[in-house]
Amino acid sequence: METTTSGKKAKRALRPIIGLGLLSLLVCGLFFPLFITGLAQVLFPYQANGELVHLKGEVVGSNLIAQNFTLPIFFQPRNESQSASGLDPDITVQMADAQIGRISNATGIPASSLQQVVNENVDVEGRLVELQYVNVLTLNIQLINEYQSVYSAYG
Amino acid sequence: MGVNTDKVLVDSLVRLSPLSLRANPVMLIVELTFFIVAAMAVYPQGFTGVATVGDRTFYAEVAAILLITVWFSTLSDALAEQQAKNTATSLRKLETEVMTKKLVRHDWSRDVVQVPSSEIKKGDLILLEKGDLIPIDAEVLEGIAMVDESLLTGESAPVRKAPGDALIGGALVISDTLTAKVVANPGESYINQMIKLVESSKRPKSPNEVAVTTVLIGLTAIFSIIIVGILGLSVELGLAADLSVLIALYVCLLPTTIGALLPAIGLSGISRLYARRIVAKSGKAIETAGDVDVILLDKTGTITVGNREAMEFLPLGGHTEKEVGEAAFLSSWHDDTPEGRSIIRLAYDKGFVPKELNSLALAEFYDFSAATRTSGVKITRATSFSLRKGRGEAVRFRRKSSDTSSSEDEADAEIEIIKGSPDSVKAKLVSPPPDYDAVIEGVSVKGETPIAIERNGEALGVIRLKDILKAGIKEKILGVKTMGIRPVMITGDQPLTAKNIATEVGIDEYVPRAKPEDKFLIVQKEQAQSRIVAMIGDGTNDAPALAVADVGLAMNSGTEAAKEAANMVDLESNPAKIIEVVLLGKQLLMTRGAVTAFSIANDIAKYFAIVPVMFAATLPQLESLNILHLGLHSAVLSALIFNAIIIPLLIPLAMRGVAFKPSSTMSLFLRNTLIYGGGGIIVPFVGIKLIDVLIGAL
Amino acid sequence: MIDAIQLLYVIGILGSAILAGWQLAPYITRVYSRAPGRLDRVLNPVENRVYRLLGVDSQGGMGWKEYFFAALAVNIVQMVIGFLILTNQDILPLNPQHFSGLSWDLALNTAISIATNTNLQHYSGEYALSYFSQMTAIQFLQFTSAATGICVAVAFVRGLTSGTKDMGNFYVDFVRTITRILIPLCLVASVVLVWLGIPQTVSGYVNAGTVEGLVNGASQVIRIGPVASLVSIMQLGTNGGGYYGANSANPFQNPNPATDIFEIFLMLLLPTTLCFVYGEVLGKKRETRPILFGAYILFAIDLVIAFIPNTALGPGIETRFGGFFSAFWTVVTTAVTTGSVNSSLGGEHPLAILAAFMGMLIQSTPGGKGVGLMYMVMYVVITVFIVGLMSGRTPEYLGMKINSRDVKLVMVAFLIHPLIILVPTILAYASGAVAAIGVPTTTSGFTEVFYEFTSAAANNGSDFLGAQANSVFFNVATAVVMFLGRYAPIGVLMALSGSMMGRKRSTEVGLRTDSMIFTLVLVASILIVVVLTFFPFLALGPIASYFQGA
Repeated sequence: METTTSGKKAKRALRPIIGLGLLSLLVCGLFFPLFITGLAQVLFPYQANGELVHLKGEVVGSNLIAQNFTLPIFFQPRNESQSASGLDPDITVQMADAQIGRISNATGIPASSLQQVVNENVDVEGRLVELQYVNVLTLNIQLINEYQSVYSAYG
Repeated sequence: MGVNTDKVLVDSLVRLSPLSLRANPVMLIVELTFFIVAAMAVYPQGFTGVATVGDRTFYAEVAAILLITVWFSTLSDALAEQQAKNTATSLRKLETEVMTKKLVRHDWSRDVVQVPSSEIKKGDLILLEKGDLIPIDAEVLEGIAMVDESLLTGESAPVRKAPGDALIGGALVISDTLTAKVVANPGESYINQMIKLVESSKRPKSPNEVAVTTVLIGLTAIFSIIIVGILGLSVELGLAADLSVLIALYVCLLPTTIGALLPAIGLSGISRLYARRIVAKSGKAIETAGDVDVILLDKTGTITVGNREAMEFLPLGGHTEKEVGEAAFLSSWHDDTPEGRSIIRLAYDKGFVPKELNSLALAEFYDFSAATRTSGVKITRATSFSLRKGRGEAVRFRRKSSDTSSSEDEADAEIEIIKGSPDSVKAKLVSPPPDYDAVIEGVSVKGETPIAIERNGEALGVIRLKDILKAGIKEKILGVKTMGIRPVMITGDQPLTAKNIATEVGIDEYVPRAKPEDKFLIVQKEQAQSRIVAMIGDGTNDAPALAVADVGLAMNSGTEAAKEAANMVDLESNPAKIIEVVLLGKQLLMTRGAVTAFSIANDIAKYFAIVPVMFAATLPQLESLNILHLGLHSAVLSALIFNAIIIPLLIPLAMRGVAFKPSSTMSLFLRNTLIYGGGGIIVPFVGIKLIDVLIGAL
Repeated sequence: MIDAIQLLYVIGILGSAILAGWQLAPYITRVYSRAPGRLDRVLNPVENRVYRLLGVDSQGGMGWKEYFFAALAVNIVQMVIGFLILTNQDILPLNPQHFSGLSWDLALNTAISIATNTNLQHYSGEYALSYFSQMTAIQFLQFTSAATGICVAVAFVRGLTSGTKDMGNFYVDFVRTITRILIPLCLVASVVLVWLGIPQTVSGYVNAGTVEGLVNGASQVIRIGPVASLVSIMQLGTNGGGYYGANSANPFQNPNPATDIFEIFLMLLLPTTLCFVYGEVLGKKRETRPILFGAYILFAIDLVIAFIPNTALGPGIETRFGGFFSAFWTVVTTAVTTGSVNSSLGGEHPLAILAAFMGMLIQSTPGGKGVGLMYMVMYVVITVFIVGLMSGRTPEYLGMKINSRDVKLVMVAFLIHPLIILVPTILAYASGAVAAIGVPTTTSGFTEVFYEFTSAAANNGSDFLGAQANSVFFNVATAVVMFLGRYAPIGVLMALSGSMMGRKRSTEVGLRTDSMIFTLVLVASILIVVVLTFFPFLALGPIASYFQGA
């Protein structure tokens, strides 16, 4: 008799504890992220899917993350282990400038033109926080688009 | 109170035993570290890995300073204890101070023996003659006498005591002789309580003391973890820190200063109070005094000296000043109070000596009674007089008038003159004169006391009595108010009189026409609003209020009941001292806080003295933190010496209390924080460097 | 030092957090006082159904013990759910990358880490966790731990509030926190974050080529997922556990200066708001002052220390944040014990690390939402006690006399921290666990290990070691430290509030805790009693590193 009562009591005490655990799982762990996913896919599909960049109809990367550029004809990102993320998509304008000579030699594009590409692509938001940097992928895509003869294999 | 140096020294050394240090965990730990470092000095080989300095002289020096630190603490205890013992000794003398005439036999013989009042027991018969202090509550068996209870009841007129009346311990017999039966035992438990309080080695700590001790134990535990942590890491990381240096840092960080002085601070508070002739029944009561929000001040005795002085005779209706003066003279002739005497003096100075003066010896006098609030005289003109004798049988005599100059004499007419509170006198009048109220109010408005006089139902005039303020009371009240405490004046006076006196001394709140029982209600009302209330009291009527008040200061001249109910007793029966009690309570709390804050703030300098050199061998770059530029040995010794020497340097502060002027809570806080908190940060930097220079010079 | 424009950014961000907190506080206060509100029409029926479903009497109040143990029990159930999901993610849905289940020790560490609001990450989410795990283990526990923190803090304040007879009902508070505070705020924040560039998808990782790959066939995996919704709660809830191993240094979690600033704002929002909620719930708005100003003055001190050196764009610093925003973030994330990072701590200047330590040791600058407030009130209580005596009155806080039981509880709370930081640190060295994961026995190595346990104890979560500390010893040791570091102080401080609840209050004003003088003394005592206590260890770590470099 007593055990049944205490069993009932325990059951009554456990119900909100376990119930709340499971209910919060449904609401916070499933409902919320899936709802936001739906909203994001409708409102901002480009951002929601990682700001992907296409060339020749193929996904060649994301604007947000660095990718390997090994050839001297491209601007190259920081070494993977140089940044915290290993995916730093940007380099400082200085780092870009330092690469102009090499790219010019390899491609024949005049240094002044390359300098202009760099200058045009200095990140606007970065400037607002007093940082001068450029997105490597953006630079290279612009080179591919502007100098199609040089980068014919890519454009 | 003299200090017995030898006794204190011996006592302080005896207290070094770990057993007697049990009550002081901080110091017990310091003593423990002494044993460890002493062992390092004796046998450093036993401490492989943690005795990296390896210098036995250095270890011996560190050990010596550690022991001295403990000794300074026990010395402070011993000093305070000595002071307390002196207090207890002088308290004991108190009980033998009053000599009482005890009747040898319970019969009509008047054979007496002189015995100390402490030996009087309930049921004893005592003889009280003019000028005797009633030693204890008693009941009149025989005789009639005038008794001055002014300090007990606040009523300045002497009270007539007849058989059956109660006598209050502390009252003074000012005329005649009484035989009385003692109704209370001279328990004087408050004195015994205090003796216990100052003598007991297991003195109960006040709640605040307990809480401070908790902080000290907590800090000790934290620093213990920290030091063990450093030791562990030093071994694991191969940092080669020396155990004695770690111990030095540990002891320096421990709240040794407050730990050493805490017991002395509490005890000296009680002693300081006693130096002002106030007996506290517990340490808690003194601390509570510091928290007081409201002080109930009895006007008489606290704000004004007990006596008022007659200033002027104001005639009413068609009467003259002379008539008023003469009537006042007559009615006050038998009035032995300072007020009565001042009336006679004023009348005499003005030349208002009544012709009935000669009849007075045979006149009938009505003593002042609290019930009627009047007193008076009845003269049966020239021909008859009444004499009260023995148990009050009146014997009538007839006598020929010696006065013939008076033409408007109404032969054989009785003259009854009554003086007293305007309300009571007005009630006796056949028809009050039209200017009665105006004149009375005219006096009251000025904060003075009007005494109305009537003759045979006809108002004659008013005596203007002036309250004399106590010297310095205004400043004291201002001080109390500055500290955020509300003074409330309690008086039996008319509202106008009360208001004026209150205004004169700067009190905003007052309770006029208050009866002693009202105090209880006032205390309760304030407490219901969560205020801490202090009050004074003496009469039995005050006992309930004294018992509920947070701080109740009873007058030693008061009744036993009042003294039992109160948590403090003023031996000098000076009610104005309640203010000093509050200041003392604040001082006690401030001193404890100041030494605690100082002690904790000291840690900054000690960190900067020892931490940079602690890992000197393995982390030389920490030398940049060594802003005091101390060498390893000197850093440890200087910090430790400073840590020790600050204890005796602060003993006087602990015993005397921090000096302060009454000011607001926040400015007291700011001032003490700057001095003791700020000082606690700066002083050790200077002190440690100074000791370092001295060590270098030696 | 920083320049004028950078100073403006600091003031602007901190200022808007304070402004927003001030605006938000009355609403949050109403949520807990259950005052009628606009959301009632929609939410009341839902919530009432939930209470019925749970068998909760929504009007029933709880004492401190009941409240605390309800919170603890619900949290443990949630941890168990998280643990089971993490160990079994291979058989659960939404695992397009086919990640295997986590080891028991890593899952234990992770479940406790997230549920205690620590978010120490011994895993790299993008390489180890399925979408399902990221949502139902990480995001879920981030919501619940944030809600628990706010609830216990509100209950704690209720205990101190005049006229209260109970601490409220945990289940009701918890439900309302989720429905009326966290979900609405996270909804807005998530949408803004997506708009600013953070991914939100449950489609699998993108197996993409690269530009050069068009010619040489190189490829890459673009690891996206339901990131924005997680970032919203991890920053708002001062959790700090990122979607990615690199946390907010990863460009998908923090793609540009705008998201960086917005995420800093989100971190500061609730801890700052709760400072205002404190005064609102108490019914004494001025009492917010010592809490808020005290926290922000200490915060400013941390910032000054971190900004003394010019952090260069060296290894470990992301180009788009530069040295300034990295140092700034490092201080903020520890000041509010979030623990997210936008740089690798190894790239930070020793002084920035020192500032980070201060934030974690103090835990209330303004600290993690909820707990930071409780800690600050605790500091106020002990400061009032120690220095209040100097005003010549028995110390009182909010009119209540501080007694030796209060002091005892505070001292116990004080003891917890050194104990759970130092004991495991020494154990880690003594057991060889440090050597086993390859951390050198140097000052910088010590800094890393000491930081690990300090971060765990403070429920911060930022760390040097990251997945390097994925060893059984470190997983279990930090799990225990995180658990104790979370629930022991909460329990003790709830007891403190419980003991003060209903205590007689004086109406007279003694020491004014709402004065600037008091706030300054409060700051000084915190620095002396809390930070200086750890001075020897800081000297062994970041300070030694600093002077070595100098």
